Amino acid sequence: MPTVTVLEQSCKGVEDCGICTFVCPASLFSASEKMNTAGYVPPQILNQEKCTGCRNCMIYCPDFSIVVQKNADGSNSVEEKEEDE
Amino acid sequence: MSEIMHPLRMKYTREHVKKTTNCPGCGNGIIVQAILRAIDELGMDMDEFAFVSGIGCSAWIPSPLFNADTLHTTHGRPIAFATGVKLGKPELNVVVASGDGDLAAIGGNHLIHAARRNIGITVILVNNGIYAMTGGQTAPTTPRGVNTTTNPYGTLESVFDISSLVLAAGAPFVARWTTYHPRQITSSLKKAFTSRGFSFIEIISQCPVQYGKVTKSGSALDLLKHYKKDSIKIDKARTMDPESLKGKIVVGEFVNEQKPELSAEWTELKARVMEGRS
Amino acid sequence: MSSKTTGNVMAGTHFLMGNIACAEGAIAAGCNFAAGYPITPATEIINHLAKKLPLHGGIFLQTEDEISAISSIVGASWSGCKVLTATSGPGISLMQENIGFAVATETPLVIIDVQRLGPSTGVPSIGLAGDIVQVARGSHGDYQIIALCPDGPQEMFDLTVRAFNLSEKYRVPVFLMAEGFIGHMRERVVIPDASELSLVARTIQRGAGGPMQRQDFLDAAVAPMPVFGNGLKSHVTSSCHDEHGMRNLSDPEIMHKFITKPIEKIMRHRDDIIQVEKNYKDCDIVLVAYGSVSRSAKAAAELARADGLKVGIFRFITCWPFPGEEIREMAESVKHMIVLENNCGQLFPYIKAEAAHACRVDFIGPQTLGQIHDPEYVLSRLKEMVR
Ligand SMILES: Cc1ncc(C[n+]2csc(CCOP(=O)(O)OP(=O)(O)O)c2C)c(N)n1
Ligand code: SF4
Ligand code: SF4
Ligand code: SF4
Ligand SMILES: [Mg+2]
Repeated sequence: MPTVTVLEQSCKGVEDCGICTFVCPASLFSASEKMNTAGYVPPQILNQEKCTGCRNCMIYCPDFSIVVQKNADGSNSVEEKEEDE
Repeated sequence: MSEIMHPLRMKYTREHVKKTTNCPGCGNGIIVQAILRAIDELGMDMDEFAFVSGIGCSAWIPSPLFNADTLHTTHGRPIAFATGVKLGKPELNVVVASGDGDLAAIGGNHLIHAARRNIGITVILVNNGIYAMTGGQTAPTTPRGVNTTTNPYGTLESVFDISSLVLAAGAPFVARWTTYHPRQITSSLKKAFTSRGFSFIEIISQCPVQYGKVTKSGSALDLLKHYKKDSIKIDKARTMDPESLKGKIVVGEFVNEQKPELSAEWTELKARVMEGRS
Repeated sequence: MSSKTTGNVMAGTHFLMGNIACAEGAIAAGCNFAAGYPITPATEIINHLAKKLPLHGGIFLQTEDEISAISSIVGASWSGCKVLTATSGPGISLMQENIGFAVATETPLVIIDVQRLGPSTGVPSIGLAGDIVQVARGSHGDYQIIALCPDGPQEMFDLTVRAFNLSEKYRVPVFLMAEGFIGHMRERVVIPDASELSLVARTIQRGAGGPMQRQDFLDAAVAPMPVFGNGLKSHVTSSCHDEHGMRNLSDPEIMHKFITKPIEKIMRHRDDIIQVEKNYKDCDIVLVAYGSVSRSAKAAAELARADGLKVGIFRFITCWPFPGEEIREMAESVKHMIVLENNCGQLFPYIKAEAAHACRVDFIGPQTLGQIHDPEYVLSRLKEMVR
């Protein structure tokens, strides 16, 4: 199962960014209850077992705040598909 | 468990640059990753690159973040600086990243001449439709009729189709994507970084803070949704009539051909005349 | 005329136009990247470089405008080239923003300004030393550059070589302030053998680690240049930066250094940079001049001495940094300085500021602007002044 980690400290907040909530095909992201030291509310991931490992969240996050690790060794060998119109 | 870090950030950015300067939801961050992913997927080293930028929010994409030679120049001139860097050291992969105001307004002349010369650099033009850094003034890419800080009663001028302009100026590689297409950006950049000629990639990118607010176009997500909904691939667009293309963003690779590249031509020319001399 | 070319040097005695001597000086100095845009009266320089540079492995790029010319030579300098652009006043005006960039980023480069009559488009083919202050003060902000004033074709060669040496040594833009007359004048030019020319190349940063472990900028003793393509991961910005090149817009201490260190770098070495020609021993009166007018000044001094007047001469070879100490020293030994300039008196206030406490200081412009001072005219004005 892929592991999805939110690096909360560099996140710029679901309220004004929230790109992860939009691009996750399984809609796993929502606002958390926390606030980082910059005052932004990072996302939380619910039902991670539904993650497809598509890496959209990691690729679209503008602030390097999401890491998706697919394999036990930490590499990211996943099949991805391009978003089309 | 050791602390998890973003692999691209760890591998390719300056350790002391702790945060990016972009506002929340800015498309520039998506472009940052798309560039680094292209370098990573190609297995290239940052030492093969020199990144040149102008002035504006988008000029901050590589500088000072990227752990490579970075030249942060003046407003509008990065392509002119980059031309010198490339001719001075043709083996370097020289990449310009800057805004639409920077590269298409004040620096528009350098852009078309670089395309005409076919100097072997890659130009990433961030089209956010506005002068973001200075506070929402009209850019040559701002849609006609919207309100901006300098056109509070609505813009009266038409927009530049920058990719077509650069294509007409002779660039052998021209692509346009939006920040909704990060994988496609990466794929086009991989072609750009490994091809010899002038490569131009226009990226329609969301500026929620200036463009979004000033022109009342909404949030980062609203803009991304628009890119998703209204982007049309070039192949399909070619079959459509102009009327149905209104309001659409035509994306894709518009041209990808081989032409003699300037720095390589100079190397050949020098060899030729020096031999003639001896 | 004898001539042989060793290396890049066209050694021998030649009869050359000033602009051609300048281009040969650049080639002799090892210039390998030049960019420019045609403009009278400087065009012969780029024409000659376009023909000759490739023969020596160099490039001449004709750019779309002068902004591109200055920008591309800055870029090529960061790629390790010895670089030059040649233009006239209108081109200098266009280049000013990025001349400031070169100053702020400590980029070595040479700018040839073959000055013409202005303001604005003025008269292209007539020389006037109208840019002499513009090149020192024309870009915004506070800074110091180096400028040299050739008095003829021989110095168009010699001082072009010197301009490269100074720019490489101090990582600073150096101007050669020719006037149209000097650029187009033809005279005997002796070009020394390659072995007799001493050439300076910049010190390149070899420090290990990234920029945060090195001093790449803001060293009054001149930091080694972190040239691109060497794996140095250099960061170059003209925004206020620290010694590592990293932008900092909040620390007042760094802002202070950002301005003062590059100035100090030049001023600390002023004795190495400043050259003047002086001949005023036992004289009461000195004619102070530079460039084309210094030739009239010398002729006028001869005439005056034949008339029994004790008249000497003082010529700026370096005009920036301003030779204030040399002027002060002279003011203390003479009674009267008469400044001759091929303009309405641009350096006159600077000279007066250094000399007026100790001697009388007057100004004589050309009898008609655009024409070199007639020595007889200078003599008659001088006699009026001392009567
Ligand atoms: C010569 C000059 N004129 C004006 C400016 C002010 N200025 C800074 S950024 C900018 C506009 C930037 O717009 P764009 O290139 O579209 O970049 P963005 O911020 O939108 O990414 C302007 C006008 C400047 N720095 N230099
Ligand atoms: S990898 Fe894909 S499915 Fe998994 S959390 Fe990220 S976006 Fe959602
Ligand atoms: S996309 Fe990244 S920065 Fe934006 S809300 Fe999600 S985690 Fe935060
Ligand atoms: S103002 Fe706009 S372009 Fe600039 S950082 Fe903010 S969102 Fe991005
Ligand atoms: Mg913009």
